[in-house]
Amino acid sequence: MDISESKDFIVSTSSLKEVRVFSREVFEKINIQQEQKDELVLAIAEAAQNIVKHGYKGVENTTDKMQIKISLKNNELEIGFFDKGKPVVPGNVQHRKLDDIKPGGLGTFFIKQIMDEAVFKKDQKGWVNHLVLTKRI
Amino acid sequence: MTYKVTEEGNISTVFLNGEIDMDVVEQAKEVILPLIDAGKEVHLNLKDVSYMDSSGISVLIESHQKALELNSKVVVKEVSKSVLKVIMMAKLEQILNLE
Repeated sequence: MDISESKDFIVSTSSLKEVRVFSREVFEKINIQQEQKDELVLAIAEAAQNIVKHGYKGVENTTDKMQIKISLKNNELEIGFFDKGKPVVPGNVQHRKLDDIKPGGLGTFFIKQIMDEAVFKKDQKGWVNHLVLTKRI
Repeated sequence: MTYKVTEEGNISTVFLNGEIDMDVVEQAKEVILPLIDAGKEVHLNLKDVSYMDSSGISVLIESHQKALELNSKVVVKEVSKSVLKVIMMAKLEQILNLE
């Protein structure tokens, strides 16, 4: 079964619940274990949170939107994130060391644990950043 | 997220309910951290927490570390299966006081 669904969200912490609801609705259509669905929702929510937290750091009450696109083709799940926040320098996107126990810095680690690949692409088409997460399911 | 706090001696138990993400994390801190500052042993009951992201995990770490600084402790109790998975993904099951 092939799927391609996308939705725009205001860049705000208050949108994160809507992001999860959208993701869960899409994954309901895919025949995978609930545990894997929960992991994928977490990865999507963490990536969306990174846009709010880092891409729009210091920006309050923006009306900008971010777009999330979930596609499934030939058992390859691709999740695209488009935003107009600060340009991401991929080399600067790092998680903290796990043995350095302190609050923060785990979102990117979770994404890397859950997904097969996380790549910033250069085909933004009107957006500033385009992150693509992929996973074979 | 909703919460309820019960007191028994020097132990304050915070029952958290719902989904804990970046949007509610400040609210969670405002409930938990003053109890630790007041010298309470804080028990966080997570049986009704259906989802927790890295922001929620940060609250658990911050609470744990603050309690250690004040020679107290935070106990994380009745962790739901989905939250336990995230705690384990962060490799914190040996760091936090889980019961």
